[in-house]
Amino acid sequence: MITLYHWEPNANSGKPMLTLAEKGVAYDSHYLDLLAFDQHKPEYLAINPMGTIPAMSHDGRVLTESTAIMEYVDRAFPGPALSPADSIERWRMRWWMKYLDQYLAPSFSMIGWSVFVGPSVRDRDPDELRAAIDRIPLPERRVAWSKAIYNTFSAEELAESNRRVAIGIKQLEAALTERPWLAGDTYSLADINAFNLAYALPLSQPALANDELTPRLMAWLRAIYARPATKATWAKGRTDMAARVRFLETPEATNA
Amino acid sequence: MLELYHGEPNGAALKALIVLHEKELPFTSRYLDLLEATPFDDRIEVAYNLEREAPILVHHGQPITETLFLSMYLDDAFPERPLQSGDAVDLWSLLVWGRFCGEVLAPAVGTLGCKAHLVPTLAKRDRSAIEAAVGGLHTPERRQAWLQALNDSFSEEELAESRRKAGVAVNRIEAALADSEWLSGPTFSLADIEVFAYADALPLLVPDIASPTAAPRLDAWLDRVRARPSVAKARAHSRTGAPQTAFVPGPEHSRWG
Repeated sequence: MITLYHWEPNANSGKPMLTLAEKGVAYDSHYLDLLAFDQHKPEYLAINPMGTIPAMSHDGRVLTESTAIMEYVDRAFPGPALSPADSIERWRMRWWMKYLDQYLAPSFSMIGWSVFVGPSVRDRDPDELRAAIDRIPLPERRVAWSKAIYNTFSAEELAESNRRVAIGIKQLEAALTERPWLAGDTYSLADINAFNLAYALPLSQPALANDELTPRLMAWLRAIYARPATKATWAKGRTDMAARVRFLETPEATNA
Repeated sequence: MLELYHGEPNGAALKALIVLHEKELPFTSRYLDLLEATPFDDRIEVAYNLEREAPILVHHGQPITETLFLSMYLDDAFPERPLQSGDAVDLWSLLVWGRFCGEVLAPAVGTLGCKAHLVPTLAKRDRSAIEAAVGGLHTPERRQAWLQALNDSFSEEELAESRRKAGVAVNRIEAALADSEWLSGPTFSLADIEVFAYADALPLLVPDIASPTAAPRLDAWLDRVRARPSVAKARAHSRTGAPQTAFVPGPEHSRWG
């Protein structure tokens, strides 16, 4: 019995969603509305006291941390292997996931929260927002939500995030020029992780990610979206943010 | 052939050395004085390394970085004397500890260790030589990290935040050891090595919160790990004679919660 607590097929929530779909593992989906602060409500804190999304319960155990959950799912369940058989490729898969999680994702996320999450909740009742921030268990998350709600990002930190996003796009293009998938010859958890972060890059960073400058990145995004598991997972999205993925429809797929 | 490029056996370098010695793998040690040479010089291809610094393992000409994944690679490629159970829960637990070390414990130890030990060490060296080495660093964030130690420009807020994170780590380790001698599963494993590499410095850096009285389970676990022959062999790679006070800037503190 598996229950996945998640928000949209996007970033951290989408990582275990797409991994479970690729493995063909059925799960009870428990949707939490991040913008309604569902993840900081008592019912969810009883499951994950850190108040972070996603979390997955399996065999009476609650697992947190999206990348670690992906590796757990790949190891625990039958279905297609999503970690390469070769030791070096497995090392490279993990190298990429750390680079995505700890270097690129915070930069993508800071920009995303400044342009989407913050503006989506900012106009609500100030007392309600204050109380919502106070309920956040992790101090790091309280700071993040405060910045998003009160729009207190500094110009320096946004510039630094933009600098890193530009580096990341180049790095992805270079890696995909060298090998068909991020870890090597096979589709792996690294691609699932990166797709969740990068699927809308050509829309959010059109000057840096496009068919002329980053053809390999574009082909890779379209190839991942063409997979049945990706289509099924993004179909669970409820917001315009996740719906953006449809721009990756290839002409053939649209006609089919 | 295995080669390991490493500095003093503390932190990440200690981790890689313990794994090699636990698995009793023959390797060539390539010692780098991180304060003498440009830490990421071109003696080796450092294609994949967030910090572009040692330790770096080279196997069949392939550079392998990020010490947790380097350790998992060694355990994968050389199955004798396994340091992982193969169980999915243990794998998940190891990765969660790794993330915690990378984002909380290692940055805290790096900041507190550099403030207390690297700052006075750098002050005794030739400033222009250090500046030249720092200027050769590949990324602005790493140049910044070394300059912060060279200029002793740690703010009170950063130090307090690092002490807070060290406290979070002490509590987390104490909790994990409540019903087990080891951090993940019933036996000594990569999770213990991963955390020990940084937690070994806690009694030195935050003696009030990591003392035998304040954190008895941490204290006993540190002693259990320190008693392993692999740890003594790893520390024997030191050239300063004081590896436990040899600190270099750690991974950056998280920029975004």
